[in-house]
Amino acid sequence: MSKAAVAPASPLSRWWHKWRFHLNILLLLIPLGFMPKYFADAAMFRGDSGLGERDLGTIQVGPWQVQLAELRDEAPRADGPAGHFKAFNAALCNTCINEVKAAYLRIGKPRSLRAAGTIFFGPPYRMATNLPIPSKTKADAEIWITLEGWDGSMHQASIPLAKASPATLAWLNKQGGK
Amino acid sequence: MKPTPRRLLVPLLLLGAASPALAHNPMCECKPVDGGQIECTGGFSDGSGAPGVTLDVIGYNEEILVPGKLGENSKLTFKRPDGEFYVLFDAGPGHVVEIDYADIGEP
Repeated sequence: MSKAAVAPASPLSRWWHKWRFHLNILLLLIPLGFMPKYFADAAMFRGDSGLGERDLGTIQVGPWQVQLAELRDEAPRADGPAGHFKAFNAALCNTCINEVKAAYLRIGKPRSLRAAGTIFFGPPYRMATNLPIPSKTKADAEIWITLEGWDGSMHQASIPLAKASPATLAWLNKQGGK
Repeated sequence: MKPTPRRLLVPLLLLGAASPALAHNPMCECKPVDGGQIECTGGFSDGSGAPGVTLDVIGYNEEILVPGKLGENSKLTFKRPDGEFYVLFDAGPGHVVEIDYADIGEP
């Protein structure tokens, strides 16, 4: 007979042996806590809750309209040595889908079409891009949308960064205006 | 095929595709080196290099001062031009990095 069998079990030990299998319930309860976020994300990426977390409305760019949204209402995300990036989504107006060749986004007015900034990719109803945010960006900076048409034309519009992403502005202020 | 697994698969794929952290954003760094020269290194944030990618040095008047391509080691060294200029790392439309001469600094 082994010694373990005769040793009297402590109340704590008995409680543990009796209830330990109920830990399984936690396996069900813990994921439940993440469900609201999961369904909110699923709805957003499916487009059910709009273009992004913060819709910036429709912006007139020359003869075209583009709807712009901040994907998430949060500070820019770090991407290693490449710096910080902010995700924006955009949708072209139904009539301009066939006319617009490319859409770009940049902080500050582009010097040329070649340096128009980061390009939007994806279907015209829901295009996405990652805008690099240099940490020394000024608080009064503007983000510029450049649309390039198949006919070779180029049209631009700008909105203040403070309006496009208050969370980015707050993040910039925290960087100490380097 | 039953529609249910497929319907579940689409949001799962979308969730995976939407992560911005997986993007490979272009990056470029320039620093002054000896002899009044500037050395620029290009690459992508996923750790890959950029050999053969175009890197132009362009004046503020949009004149291309140094048309170049990165070497096998993803680097390009060129003589610092006079006046105001910027370096354009150009990995294709919308995949560019601009570096202003003021951000390169003096040796």
